[in-house]
Amino acid sequence: MTAMTLTAAVDCDLHVAPSSLGTVLPYLDEYWRSYIEDSTVGLSHPGYPLGAATTGGTPPSSYDELAPVLNAANPHRAILTCLALDGVHRNPYYAAAMARAVNDWVREEFLVRDERLRAGIAVSPLDIPAAVQEVERLADDGRFAQILLPVRGDVPYGNRLYHPLYAVAQEHGFPIALHAWGRGGKAPSMTGVTATYLEDYSSNAQIAQVQMMSLVAEGVFTRFPQLKVVFMECGFSWLPPQLWRFDKDWKGVWREVPWVKERPSDYVRRHMRFTTEPAQLPQDPHQIAQVVEMVGPELLMYASDYPHQHGDGFERLLAALSDEDAESVLRGTAAAFYGDLIA
Amino acid sequence: MITEVDVPSASEEGRLKDVALVDVDIHPRMTPADFVRRLPERWARHVERYGLRAPAIRDRYPRPRNKGVRADAWPETGFPGTDYGLLRKQLLDEHKIDFGIMLVLDALDSGYERPPLDAAICQVVNDWLVEEWLDRDDRLRGSIAVPIENPALAVAEIERVAADGRFVQILLPASAQESAGSPKYWPVYRAAAERGLPVAFHTGGYNDHGGTGRPSFYLEEHAGYGVIMQTLLTSLVCEGTFAEIPDLKIALVEGGALWLAALKWRLDDAWRQLRDEMPELDRLPSEYIREHVWLDTQPMEEPDNPKHFLQVLEQAGLEDRLMFATDYPHWDFDSPSSSLPRGLSREQRGKLLAGNAIELYGLPSKVARR
Repeated sequence: MTAMTLTAAVDCDLHVAPSSLGTVLPYLDEYWRSYIEDSTVGLSHPGYPLGAATTGGTPPSSYDELAPVLNAANPHRAILTCLALDGVHRNPYYAAAMARAVNDWVREEFLVRDERLRAGIAVSPLDIPAAVQEVERLADDGRFAQILLPVRGDVPYGNRLYHPLYAVAQEHGFPIALHAWGRGGKAPSMTGVTATYLEDYSSNAQIAQVQMMSLVAEGVFTRFPQLKVVFMECGFSWLPPQLWRFDKDWKGVWREVPWVKERPSDYVRRHMRFTTEPAQLPQDPHQIAQVVEMVGPELLMYASDYPHQHGDGFERLLAALSDEDAESVLRGTAAAFYGDLIA
Repeated sequence: MITEVDVPSASEEGRLKDVALVDVDIHPRMTPADFVRRLPERWARHVERYGLRAPAIRDRYPRPRNKGVRADAWPETGFPGTDYGLLRKQLLDEHKIDFGIMLVLDALDSGYERPPLDAAICQVVNDWLVEEWLDRDDRLRGSIAVPIENPALAVAEIERVAADGRFVQILLPASAQESAGSPKYWPVYRAAAERGLPVAFHTGGYNDHGGTGRPSFYLEEHAGYGVIMQTLLTSLVCEGTFAEIPDLKIALVEGGALWLAALKWRLDDAWRQLRDEMPELDRLPSEYIREHVWLDTQPMEEPDNPKHFLQVLEQAGLEDRLMFATDYPHWDFDSPSSSLPRGLSREQRGKLLAGNAIELYGLPSKVARR
């Protein structure tokens, strides 16, 4: 991977985060400022403990901190991800207020200062009508490129509860970005909080599989045929076996979901994309090539995922790609997926 | 005594054949009347009046395909899986199965009950399995139902029945009240390991698909069984279960298998970055999995390109870990004669259809010709 190749790249997932709630206080109204002060609530990122090697340090909290990172790689476009909403609180109104504040902070601190930058519109799954309003508020800004939700929610993302958000996403051409973590305290599956971070960290992939199936099974893409979804920081090597099973089961019990008109994998391949970090791959280059062929390189979009450190998987992936596929992964697929949003 | 049935003497050699087919996932089922009749009076009265606590899986995710079972598996009376004669004819004889492992799912949800009732249910299930099935056919082997949420009672039940060598494993639900790797359950795993009995986790249980909210459809529930297995295995590895109990063997049943390769890669990558959190894990997660974990084929994964099956079999190191299962009498039954992927070598077929199960369950490799 050379700086040359990255110069034309689209980086779909570059993290920024306020260093403290104080950073976003100016974007909150008086009620929420006093709420924060009285309740001593702070920022919490349960998915990114600062001492964990995978976290890789604190994300840039100002443009001055971001600029050297951006200049080093110098991508054509970088889409910022701010996960400041990933608290453990349950207050939907607080979440909605924080979403507005975070988005305004991202716009004022970063987007207005650098043409290379775009960002996801952070919204909370705790209040979908508020999320719709927030998307509508920012839709004409021109510097937001997707709608950012945590992959871990309270109800799977195919549920009708979320459909108003998908309607507004489709209307404005925004992809839905389901990013690893979120809804702190949500265990990856089944039985509650996990005992180790190692387990929690490894498990975003399981959640992503559940969400992938939910979106297809509930007919989201039948109802919103232009809707696009990108899974971010959830891996992708799990995809082929899960699609084989999903397709086979659909052939058996399709009558339960009559709105699913095509094979589930057809919807996934048409509507969904996956970012390249973490690239959880075998060590053997021959086997990596097999995995790339099974997944389909056309589903992958490059993300630096700065500052997170998932190991050397991406380098091994890139080494296994043909020049043409590498160009698609680094730029072409994202250019087509986001279209005018990142033009 | 029982196990000697299958141990051939030298004079019998000529009448022996190689074990060629082991079915590791067969579901016999109790009728509700049988169940209540066998319960102790106190609990029979309780169940008749108050029912059971766990909502039936069929009520949570109704099966919109032949009521969830093979359409031709209904006996004259009762539910598919309740009739020995029909199971023998349709499954054991029809497919020339040398050994069939029985997993009774009737106790899989009983961890919701208070411990003495849970224990009574498991006793009933185990005794019924011996009397109604294992005693009738020497091809059949059993799985021990245990009241998993009370490990002391679970160990007692293992002690009560494990001397019968026809029980070849402990049966647990894939989702219980705590994660599978929780030290709460380690006494049960130790009791199994000490007796050389694998622990089988079968899809189901009372806490499935909870992590990001529950899906709406059976399609998702069923296609997600492998996802639950990924979470279960992640927990067993990351909480240090295999490091703590080096003789433990695990069978993951009815969750499919080909997801294993990607899980190994992501656990290994995660461990390389985060190993200081769990110094108890002194090897790559994939090495623990390699040593401790077996899986079954049900439901057989069917990539468009059969070559992909063979590739993932190798990537996941499944060649000597994958065991064939029919899942009789459920709707998605896999026939040993038509469900295997094309392109398997003779050796791969042999291991998949019998060899791997023979190794895991310590079954004889030869049996008398029938």
